Amino acid sequence: MASDSDIHLYTAQTPNGIKISILLEELGLPYQTTKLEFSKSTQKEPWFLEINPNGRIPAITDKFTDGKPIRLFESGSIMQYLVARYDKDHKFSFPPGSREFLEMNNWLFFMNAGVGPMQGQANHFTRYAPEHIEYGVNRYQNETRRLYGVLDKHLADTKAEYLVGNKCTIADISHWGWVSAAGWAGVNLDDFPHLKKWEERMWARPALKKGANVPDPYKLKELLQDKEKMDRHAAEARNWVQQGMKEDAEKNAARSK
Amino acid sequence: MANLLQKITGGLKAEKPIKLYGHGGGPNPWKVEVILRELGLPFDRQIMDFADLKKEPFESINPNGRVPAIEDPNTGMKLWESGAIIEYLLETYDSSNSLSYTSGAEKWEQKCWLHFQMSGQGPYFGQRAWFTLYHSEKNLTSCLDRYGNEIRRVISVIDAHLKSTGREYLVGDKCTYADLSFATWHWLLTSPPNIMGEGFAKEWEENYPLAWKWNERMQARAAVKEARDERTKVISGK
Repeated sequence: MASDSDIHLYTAQTPNGIKISILLEELGLPYQTTKLEFSKSTQKEPWFLEINPNGRIPAITDKFTDGKPIRLFESGSIMQYLVARYDKDHKFSFPPGSREFLEMNNWLFFMNAGVGPMQGQANHFTRYAPEHIEYGVNRYQNETRRLYGVLDKHLADTKAEYLVGNKCTIADISHWGWVSAAGWAGVNLDDFPHLKKWEERMWARPALKKGANVPDPYKLKELLQDKEKMDRHAAEARNWVQQGMKEDAEKNAARSK
Repeated sequence: MANLLQKITGGLKAEKPIKLYGHGGGPNPWKVEVILRELGLPFDRQIMDFADLKKEPFESINPNGRVPAIEDPNTGMKLWESGAIIEYLLETYDSSNSLSYTSGAEKWEQKCWLHFQMSGQGPYFGQRAWFTLYHSEKNLTSCLDRYGNEIRRVISVIDAHLKSTGREYLVGDKCTYADLSFATWHWLLTSPPNIMGEGFAKEWEENYPLAWKWNERMQARAAVKEARDERTKVISGK
């Protein structure tokens, strides 16, 4: 199979980036990695925009079944592609069209349209915003908590170890990076006991640990134990986040002139 | 990639109407309605009160307590999240591939854009709508700017893509579900409540002309127009 594929992952140490390296490790697929440097805005360079016109990670390129290169962007569609093509035994997915497959998709979209964007906004207002806006902090932390509550209740009601069909699928893998980073968004995972246990169950998977350490060592769990380090890390990230926002705003303004 | 459902049902024809749970204001349920109309599928729309979303019996359909959700009596399936619903409808009922590519690189390219819509367009447009409609009395300029700039950025990504491909639609040479998934959020930009202000249509047309024409093309489709008219009726209570 290796000769039929040529997977190249473009990523960074973020909850969305590690979704893909974790899935690749779980599937046991060979892949190359390119790390994108947000501090240097590498993700906005023309060569990368050819791969992802949205200028975001993760993205992948691969040799498609027709032998030609294919590019994919958005973590959700990348995960759907990888299992459709490489998970023939349905170890991390289900047969297309089956009830479990559709249920898995519900949760995959719930992650990408709900948990990811809302927790991302909570990160912004809690860690990166140039000014402290209490309303923004509260709004997005509360929405993140509400979504965690949905996950927690689902795990409790179904008494299952994983979100769908009692096995670890792309629905679980897509959530893990965000849920494990709850503390960074100011959300306490202790408030969601079923979800917390699920997080620990996921973290115990060797392939997940390996994938979480791509492209840089995964240090979030240590970071969340150390407030001083957390503040320092936030201050560093704040610079490039705000720089990026400024560049986008300037680009928009330039169009209007 | 053979689809199990289509195999079982032999390219199913929806005999019984699909139940669509929706709401007047928010664009996501209408996104699903556009696809139902495009595919010519029978459906019953049930407009839900917000108060009924976060309790039973609706929570058994969608544990997240949000619309849209659907129940399909033809297959016995219940689905939620507009993106997942759209994928299901296409894979189950679009046997003539009128709105989708089902093989080749295009099949995956479509999914990339659908996912961009639901993780990149919807959430940010939604936040701008929230701060515009519900918080005009507060001084939250930086929030409005944050999401306003993101809306411009999303449109600029589409504009640049259409420019580089020289095509009229996002994927291949026809209008697919990937394009249409963007259409209903645009209603909030070009008509009341005009979440980017009344002058924004002009700004969009001048600054992102290819994305503007792309949107005009979609809005001229019968299914999009009909859904829009229905929404107007629901909102005005007629």
